[in-house]
Amino acid sequence: MYYKNKDENWRKMADFWGRIFKINFAIGLVSGLTLTFQLGTNWGAYAEFMGDVFGPPLAVEALLAFFLEGTFFGAWIFLNRDRQKLKAFSMWMVALGTNISSLWIIIANGFMQHPVGYNMAADGSKVVMTDFLALITNGYVWYMMVHTLLAAYLLTAFLMMGICAYHFLKGNNNEVFKKSFSIAVAIALVTAVVLPVLGHGYAQYVTELQPAKGAAMDAIWETGSGEPMYLIQIPDSSTGSNSVQLLGIPGLASFLYTGSFSGTITGLNQLPHDELPPVEMIFWSFRLMTILGSLFIIEALLGLYLQKSGKLYTSDKYLKLMMWSIPLPYISITAGWIVAEVGRQPWIVYGLLKTANGISSVPISDVLLSITLISAFYLILMIFEIYLIKKTVVNATGVE
Amino acid sequence: MFDFLTHDMLAVIWFFLWCVIWGVYFIADSFSLGAGLLTPFIATDKVQRTQIQSSVGPFWGGNEVWLILAAGGTFAAFPLVFSKMFTFLYIPMLLLLIGLIARGISIEYLHKDENPQIQKILMLGWFAGSLLISLVLGVAFANFFKGLEIASRGVYEGTLLGLFSPYALLGGVLFVLMSVTSGALWINVKTEGAIAAKAGNLAKKSTLIVLVLALVYLAYSFVGIEGFTINYSATPALYLLPVLAVVGAVLAVFFAKKDRGFPAFCSNLLTLLFVVESGLASIYPYMLKSSISPEYGINIFEAASSHMTLSVMLGGALVFVPIVIIYQLWAYTLFKEKIKETEQVEY
Repeated sequence: MYYKNKDENWRKMADFWGRIFKINFAIGLVSGLTLTFQLGTNWGAYAEFMGDVFGPPLAVEALLAFFLEGTFFGAWIFLNRDRQKLKAFSMWMVALGTNISSLWIIIANGFMQHPVGYNMAADGSKVVMTDFLALITNGYVWYMMVHTLLAAYLLTAFLMMGICAYHFLKGNNNEVFKKSFSIAVAIALVTAVVLPVLGHGYAQYVTELQPAKGAAMDAIWETGSGEPMYLIQIPDSSTGSNSVQLLGIPGLASFLYTGSFSGTITGLNQLPHDELPPVEMIFWSFRLMTILGSLFIIEALLGLYLQKSGKLYTSDKYLKLMMWSIPLPYISITAGWIVAEVGRQPWIVYGLLKTANGISSVPISDVLLSITLISAFYLILMIFEIYLIKKTVVNATGVE
Repeated sequence: MFDFLTHDMLAVIWFFLWCVIWGVYFIADSFSLGAGLLTPFIATDKVQRTQIQSSVGPFWGGNEVWLILAAGGTFAAFPLVFSKMFTFLYIPMLLLLIGLIARGISIEYLHKDENPQIQKILMLGWFAGSLLISLVLGVAFANFFKGLEIASRGVYEGTLLGLFSPYALLGGVLFVLMSVTSGALWINVKTEGAIAAKAGNLAKKSTLIVLVLALVYLAYSFVGIEGFTINYSATPALYLLPVLAVVGAVLAVFFAKKDRGFPAFCSNLLTLLFVVESGLASIYPYMLKSSISPEYGINIFEAASSHMTLSVMLGGALVFVPIVIIYQLWAYTLFKEKIKETEQVEY
């Protein structure tokens, strides 16, 4: 941006946000390795079963994305400021790499949600790829891809708004933060509105493919048509019903799931009992995600209104709210992934391989050791990262 | 795609590519590992530390991806090997992972905070991470060449301690020292001032040690490791590989003595590359050789993915590996100036 406009403010913005991105990205660069490793160490049986299908997207991701990210991240950091054109180019290559990366990892995950383009091996021991293009054109992949990317943009926008809010509160109303806020609030609003609209279609699609996950999102126990949606509801899987359900809106659940107020939804009790996911976990995660999602729309609208009316920099309450809202998109995204991944249980590859059959035969003590070590290590990294980001943010009062 | 190739031919091609990718990784990462191993010992102040950091900073990330490609390529082309390799060597792989994370974070964060205490910890993290990576990989590869204790159809009987045979330890030490040499020569070539001279002098000694160790290691392989010579007897042209390794080591000693850093650096990489390839050439057609009985080993034909997967991947590799190599080499040309003592990094 700076390269095009030659406007000092754009340069300052790119530098400041770039600095935060770099701190974050360094962690992403190294912690992503854990997943690759554990596919072999902890999920050996899964790796043997799925290698033919899962391996290629992973290898292609390394070839197309990781090399771009790894190579140009170094160039972006270490190139001198007087080589602005190359620096900007490197930054764009890193961004391109991360987007390509998300696509391929979701292609791999999409297969686990909705297997396509494969055959079972004659002895049933593994899947064999028959159609590589089908992996890429898998509908599940694209629903998930758009949803995940939008959520990521939303998270970034809220992080930016929160950081700007911090500086407005301290009275640093300079152009850099003002400009950053207006970009962020626009992105936040668009993504916050588009996410539930598209997410709705995504949920209907999921329910068709994975009825158990779909029914668990709203804890629908019995098959029925014209199902109401309860505003207050506490599911209880031990009895296979809701222990509390109040304020039902007639037909709304049916409408949301099927597009018709009298549509039929398959209930959890009518599905094979040993193929149900932990209903409470899915239900509460889904509620949490949607409630936070609604909050995001309100916060973004409010932000836009306050900025347009010029009251933003003096609305201390709103600014504080935005500062404390920084963790919320992280929570919401985690909840969304719980719905997607836990909702698929007990399958690791939907309908083909159960999670319990995907693990390596290694001693439990080894697994415990690795979990403890890695968790401790991640915790230290997280504390250190937050410390560095905080320092960068706090020191940036007069952004140069 | 590639219908004219049989499944077995594709498996052999992928084994060849697998050897190439591992080789590229070892040479590409050696100098950043070596720089990490050396920093606490040769950098006397923050200026010199920054010089070393700036000499490897732009490259280590892109180079490490070759390791991920090696892992991902193994997963895609030989899923059975990927699964067994990581499961059998659970604890070593965990150590490798921790080494990789520690190393990466330490390089990136080294000078993001002025607190000398934090900088000290990160420098140690960089050192310890680099040591773990080169030692674990050295020990692991020596064990691959020697054979793992695989009994009857994929049952692993080896223990953690069992991995540390004299041969494997020798391999580990050799890999660490080849990396140290690579790092020293890289610093010598890429920086200016006291640190460059110090690194150059160190390389004079370390190239000699590498020559001796490489000779012992190769001799041990050919004489003391069961089944190592089978492929060499069948295809004598393979003897070129260990010969090139030794030639590289001799040239490295020669050039280092004459203070010609860059040719010495390349010669050392030659040794590193062909020590690895000499071993890999000996295990074919096995990828996980069994030290108990050859037929228990996992060979490339049973481990290979389907024809479809192998050919899709081959197409991808043939198109994108050259592209990656081209832009990585181009990235090196962006940073061709020597790093002076006065230079400061901006973040």
